[in-house]
Order: sequence, then structure tokens, then C-alpha cells
Amino acid sequence: MRRNQDCNGIDHVIARRDFLWGSAAGAIGLGALTSPLNAAHLQQQQKRVLQIYLQGGVSQLESWDPKPGTQFGGPFQAIPTSVPGIHISELLPHTASRMHLLSLVRSINSKIGDHRQGMLFMEKGRRAGDYPYFGSVVSKYLAPTDAELPGYIHISKRGIVDSTAAFLGARHAQLKLLGDQAPANLASPKSIDEPADDARQRLRVQFDRRFSKQRSRALTDVYNSSFEQAEKLMKRKAMFEGDVGEQDLDRYGRHDFGRHCILARDLLENGATCVKVTHHGYDTHAENFNFHLEQLGEFDKTFSMLLDDIHDRGMLDSTLVIVYSEMGRTPKINTKYGRDHWGTAWSVAMGGCGIQPAAVIGKTNDEGTEVVEREVDGGHLFHTYLSALGLDSTMDHDISGKSIPIGDPAAAPIEELLA
Amino acid sequence: MTRSRVIVIIGIVIGSMANHSHTLRASDPLHVQIDALVSTHSEFKAPAAITDDASFLRRVTLDLAGTIPTANDVREFLADSAPDKRIKLVDHLLGSPQYARRMQYVFDTLLMERRPNKHVTAEQWQAYLRESFLQNKSWRQLSQELLSADGTDEQTRAAARFLLDRELNVDQVTRDIGRIFLGRDLECAQCHDHPAIDDYLQRHYYGLAAFIKRSYLVQDPKTKKTSIGEKAEGDVQFTSVFTSETDQTAPRMLDAPPIVDPPPGEPLYKVKPAKNVRSVPVYSRRLQLAKSLTDDANQAFRENIANRMWALMMGRGLVDPVDMWHAQNPPSHPKLLNLLADSLLEHDYDLRYLLRELALTDTYQRSSRQDTPDHAPSSSRPTDFSVALLKPLSPEQLALSMMRATGVAEQQLAVAISKQEKTDDPQLAVDPIWQEEALNKALASDTKAFVKIFGVEGVQNAAFDASADQALFLRNGALVQRWVTQKNGLSDRLNALDHHAVAEELYVSVFSRLPDADETSFVNEVLDATTDRKADLQQLVWAALVSTEFRFNH
Repeated sequence: MRRNQDCNGIDHVIARRDFLWGSAAGAIGLGALTSPLNAAHLQQQQKRVLQIYLQGGVSQLESWDPKPGTQFGGPFQAIPTSVPGIHISELLPHTASRMHLLSLVRSINSKIGDHRQGMLFMEKGRRAGDYPYFGSVVSKYLAPTDAELPGYIHISKRGIVDSTAAFLGARHAQLKLLGDQAPANLASPKSIDEPADDARQRLRVQFDRRFSKQRSRALTDVYNSSFEQAEKLMKRKAMFEGDVGEQDLDRYGRHDFGRHCILARDLLENGATCVKVTHHGYDTHAENFNFHLEQLGEFDKTFSMLLDDIHDRGMLDSTLVIVYSEMGRTPKINTKYGRDHWGTAWSVAMGGCGIQPAAVIGKTNDEGTEVVEREVDGGHLFHTYLSALGLDSTMDHDISGKSIPIGDPAAAPIEELLA
Repeated sequence: MTRSRVIVIIGIVIGSMANHSHTLRASDPLHVQIDALVSTHSEFKAPAAITDDASFLRRVTLDLAGTIPTANDVREFLADSAPDKRIKLVDHLLGSPQYARRMQYVFDTLLMERRPNKHVTAEQWQAYLRESFLQNKSWRQLSQELLSADGTDEQTRAAARFLLDRELNVDQVTRDIGRIFLGRDLECAQCHDHPAIDDYLQRHYYGLAAFIKRSYLVQDPKTKKTSIGEKAEGDVQFTSVFTSETDQTAPRMLDAPPIVDPPPGEPLYKVKPAKNVRSVPVYSRRLQLAKSLTDDANQAFRENIANRMWALMMGRGLVDPVDMWHAQNPPSHPKLLNLLADSLLEHDYDLRYLLRELALTDTYQRSSRQDTPDHAPSSSRPTDFSVALLKPLSPEQLALSMMRATGVAEQQLAVAISKQEKTDDPQLAVDPIWQEEALNKALASDTKAFVKIFGVEGVQNAAFDASADQALFLRNGALVQRWVTQKNGLSDRLNALDHHAVAEELYVSVFSRLPDADETSFVNEVLDATTDRKADLQQLVWAALVSTEFRFNH
């Protein structure tokens, strides 16, 4: 029988880079390791994640991997950036001047041209299955146990309900904020004033104390912690409802995405561990060029302001920034001046915490139709993100009897991108 | 397996217990045999006491009827002095329409995992499940119906939802058959032999896939209804992403021998493939799946359902997680699991029989209180079942129980009955099945609101979890607040009572038990200090409803 040929490979067992599991190197077999990492140590370092999800599939040719003057290049030029030798689309002038803070992967072949499947692959690092989203994994391992906000917050104007936590449990599921609106049910019922609300919480705790006394705390503690989390959100109600400063609005832009990014910044500054902002509208089957002009115009300035604020506050060293989509767009331009779904050769950008800045990984051919160098997919990116955060993605989640590899054993981090 | 083989197995079980104080006979009821096997577990030390009547009533009503008992049920059961009242209660619940509803919810969640509707409506599907449990259809028959219905016959279309609403996606269906019917999550074996689990091989995965690979969805151009067609040819091949080796397999149940297609006759098809035509082969691999899966030779099929029913009642599987059955995660009580599985076979997969026997065990009836240090759970070993485990209420159980505790359910039923009495068919209003349906219908939209917040789409987590969204919903949401302040509901009823009677009514209505002296004085203290009695009573009701005691079946 031939099994475990890759999964028992030495790099599954030995910690990568400066990771803390050196002593576990002697342990053979995935099931033998009980914890994927020293979570307490990582939590102390207060690492964070900002995900900007360009929903619909941003065109790599109109963003990170322009091919001006070629058959499929489209009308836009490539412009130099703050990193000599790296050119990106002229639609991203503000981002271009901050390129030294970012890196690009131009060689993704995810082989998926479906919005939902592509999104799931990029979030889970797996092509299929009930695995947790990246944000839920981050919440599980990086959020301090006494965090003042839920570990994984997603700001989006619309979208389906997603089950993001899988076996990690609801505590690490994304808390979805509908735009910059406050979470549902954040305010006490009108008929109950603050003293009355306090009084009923005391009653709840009294009931609990009696029941929990002689019983296993494993479940009751989890239930009570959900009320504590709710309390945290209620205490920060003002943050969700606060007036956004005029100056911030001038800089970020007076549109939804601007407001969402201001909220994301505030959340990260206030102890959130993973914040995801979705910028909708990149599914450009028609009028690809006009749409990208508009969409990326909004993205470019706003994202750059957010990047500046994170950098200026000294948080970029501890904040992993990821700009991604579920797929790219076809090089071939269709009859409606659109580009269709394309998972074969596309790009993402990232930066901050643990990422080697100013790097470009991989290459597509001159027409952008194929990856010609360092092909990767969602699995490699998933490993890379976690590795950048100091998490050994080749270890296992140890979840009540199941031993589940954190990243897909068939993929590995992009080592040359790690600082 | 034949009956005589079953008796041999039971004989072995008894033989293994020869040095134990119990003298067991094969004629002993199953629940007696179960307790004997639980008590021989090496970790089984000091079992908790048998739980009191009130706790038993609440526990078994939640498990078998899906809600807490009414205050009247509690008082009646406590007043009943018959020695066999627990047995009578179990039989009463199992014979009630509430049992079929509870099983409808349990099996809907198990089989469809809160997926959104696609081709078959939830109403049709749920009615089918409920009817199946009203008839006490066997698990074997139910499973066969789910896998063999093709969606063309209105009579059996609902059963086809298992396949139709998964879009007959081969990978999805393969994985779900492995997990839901065989207790084995073979997903990792889709791309390669499982990296961490020796038992899960790629050929197991593709052996199951081969049963359904030839089936496909077809839409009737006129009715727009989707049904299942099947081709007479097509095999599965697979390649390991690790080794790049390619292999193929005929359909097979895990390690059982491959099932070779019968020699192709002429014609191959009952209905030939053509444009907009649903093809039907002479030999159907999908029908073969229904047969092979539920065959006596397939031990995994009965072990899986026995283990899942155990987990439902006891709060943890003998194999746990229930879909990770393999050599490195063996059953905590292998003989017990064999006994349960073989009893099911002997009783033609009668789940009501199994649930009855489980409910009658001492194991099920033990207290959840850890009275001695021996009772504290240890993470290093599987549970020994010497103390009852806490079971979080399902979203449906939680919503229905809150509506029952606050008097909302009772009021809704009274409204429905009085409406029915004014119709041409007033007699119907006294029919228990009609009443159950009318109540369920009246409470359906509020129940759905709970499912939305507390239900998780996809695989059911083995571990309980709770999120901030859920707590905010309970704490500040309009729904629970409405129930707490319901006119003529529980808080109003309490407000009409004398001081000294409040504690008892509150505890019986919400916690399904009498308060002890400390609890009575705690309630009295709240009332003594009150400046707004009505408001304080509402807060007390709210705090009791969202308490841990209410949140769990204990």
C-alpha cells in the first residue's frame, strides 16, 4: 500500500522557519501532535489580518499583471511603481506609489471559473470540503482569549450567509456586519433601561451559578462566553454607530467602500484580529474596461489611505494585508468588451506582517494566457498567509478525535515570499 | 445476517461477562444488556445516581417529543405513584405525533444539514419524513427510498430530495453517503489515500462514487421538474495527487468485494438516452446502491445508525465524532456497539424499538450532576457514561421549549382549536395528530427564526458552540422579548399569583421541576425588593429562559 508518501514527508513534522515546535521534530505521524502551535505565545504578539476581497473576480490585466500593447492587453498602460522594475496598471496610481509595502503573486492557476467554488478555494485553501475559512483559523489561533472584539469580522454590503468556522466552532465564525451598520440586536430592548438590563444579567448569572456548580463546565462556559462577547459588542456600540470624521471621509472617499475601510481600520486598532472588507462589483462580463476604471478608482485611493493609516500607526509589521478575488478574468475580450471568468492565470497582492516586501512571485506568458513560472493555487496561498503570521500551516487542527491538517498536505507555503 | 447468528453474538457477549456480577441471558431486554456492558467498561467507577422524576421527564420529553413538558405534565408525573410510570411515559411519547415531529427535525438535519431548498420543497420533504416516522418505517426502508426514488413519481418525489437537492453532484453525494450512512468521512480520500487515517483509501471513495457516477439530473422541458436519469455505461478512474498513480474500481461498499455489473444483455436500456429524454438502464447501479448499502452483509450501515441513535440519546457517540469511524478512532464500547447494531438487524431496523430500549437504560437515566471527583470528565479517555452528559438543545427544541414555557404555544393551540370548532368539521379539533400539526404550523415562522440564528448549514459540529450573534438575539432580539411580555403569558400569570406561589410556578413552567428552599427564597428576595413587580417578573422569566439550565438537556 502506498500512503502518506507526501503527508509523512519531513516538512510535515519539522517546524518551518523560526517556528516554536522544534521539540516536536522527533514526533512522527500527524496524529501525534496535539497542538498546531503555541497559541498563547502568538496571541501575545497581537498579529492581525486585513483582507480586502474584490468580489466578482478582478481583472489581473487591469490591476497587478498588465500586458499593454499585446493582443489581449486592453487599453490601459502599465505604470512604474515605487519599486524599480515593478509595473502595475495605470488604474492603480496610489497603490503604485506604495508598492514597496506590498508584494505580488502573478502565477495563480486555481483552475476554477465559478464564483462560489473559487471563493471557497481561496478562503479555505482546499478545493472542497468543510474546512474553516482563513479568517476563522486566524481567530482560533491568533485572537487573544480576552479579546475585546470577535476574532473574525466581515464587512460587506450584501451576500449570502456563510458557514465559515466548520469544526472550529461558532466562536470563530465570521461576525458579518452589513456595511458600517451595527450588528443586529446590538441595543437593549426599548422597554429595558440600563439598570434593568444589568439586573437581568445578574439574574442570568445567578441561575447559571447554581446549575453549573456540579456539572461539566465544558459546554456551559462556551454558552456563557457568547453572552460575554455580546456584551463586548454592546459596549462598543458607539464604535459601530459613531460619526465618521470629515477628514477621514475626505481621504477615504464618501462611498460605502470608504466607510467600510474606515470601520476596518477602527476595528483593527481596537483589538479585532481578522477583518475582511468586501468590495463588490468586479464581475465584468460586459464593459470590463469602464467598470475597472470605476471600481479600481474607488479601490485604489481608499485602499492606499487604509494602508497608510496602518503603516503610520506602526501596525503594518503585525498586520497581514491581503487583496484577493475568487478568480481572474479571461485575457480574451468578448464581444461586449467584457472579460469572462478565468482561474488559469491570475494575481493577488499582499503585504505587511511576515511578507517579504517588494517581491514579485511567478510569471505569466506575454499574452497572459498561461502561467509560465512558479505556478501556485489557493492551497499555496493559504499556507503562505498562515506562515507569514508565524503559524505552522503543516500542523494539524486537533478537534475532538479528528486530526485535520491545517493546510492542504498537497500544497506548501511560497517560501520565497516569506520575510 | 440470520437470526441464529445474532443469538451466537449475544452468546459471546454474555460469555465475556462471565466474571461480572450480572447474570445475563439473551432473553434479557436490550436495556438490561446495555447497562451490563456499560458497567464493565474499565473506566466505569462510581456511576451517578438515577436522576429524579422531574429531570427524567424533561430529558425524555425533549429527546423523544422535541420540547419541554408543560407545567401540568410535570405536576401529573410527580404526583403519579405507579412504579412503572417511566416506562409508561416513554411508551406514551413514542406513540405520540410529537415523536414523529421530533424525528422529522432530527432526520432532516441529519440528511439535509440545513441546506437551502432546490428541487424539492422543505414542506414536501418534511411531510414525507414525518409520515415515515408516524408509520414507524424502518431505517432500512427509509434509506432505500432515499437512494432509489428518481423524482418522477409524485408519490415518492419527496424522498428523492437527498439526491436532487445535492444536484446529484458525485463528490457531494459520495461523501455524504460515506458520512451519513456509513459513519466514514472519506473526503480526504477523494484525491489520495487519507494522509492521516490508514483506513480511508481512495478506492473506498471511488467504490461509492461508482454507484452513482452513471446517474445524472434531467429537466423535463414541459414541467421544468428535475428528476434522475441513468446511463448503462461509465466507470470511475482515479489518480492520486500524491503518487500520480491511476486506478479504477467497480462499485463497492468499503472493503467488501466489488460488485460486477451483470453481463450486458440486449437491450441495455428500458428507455434509451435521447435529447430531453430521461434514460433508464436495464441494470441500475443506483438501485444496486440502495440494495448493497442496506444489505445484511453491510455491517457499517447498522453500526452507523446504532451509533447515531446512541449519540442522540446519550450526547456522545460510542464512536465520536460519529462520522470518523476508523482504526485509530475505534468505538469506546465495541461489544455494546455490536449488540446495538445486531439488535437493530434482528428488529428489522426499528428505530422506535431502539430508542425505547435506550430510554429505559440506567445509563440514559443517570443524573448529569458530578457528585464525586470520579465523575469529572477526563479528556484522555472517551466517556464511560457514568454521568449523563449535557446536550445542547437543537434550534427547534430551544424555540418550541421557550414558547411552551412562556405559554405562547398553549395560547396558539387554543386559538387554532377555537377556529376549527367553528368550521364544518369541529370534531377534528380533538384529534391529537391534527392538534400537533395545527400547533406546529402556528409556531413555524418563529421556530424558523431560531433555526436561522442557531442552525449551522453543513456538517454538524461534534462540539457545542455559541456565538455573539446568538447571545445578542436572545438578549436584545424582539422575538424572545415578545414571548417574555406576552399578554396572559407566563409573566402575567406569575404577576397574578401570591408572593409565595411565584417560585414554584416559575420553576415548574420553565425548568420543569420544583424549586428547592434556596431557590424559593432567591425568588422571594427578588420580589421583596421590587418596585415594579410586573417588570421584575418579566426579567426573572427572561433570565430563566436564557439560563444554562434551560439551554441544555441535562
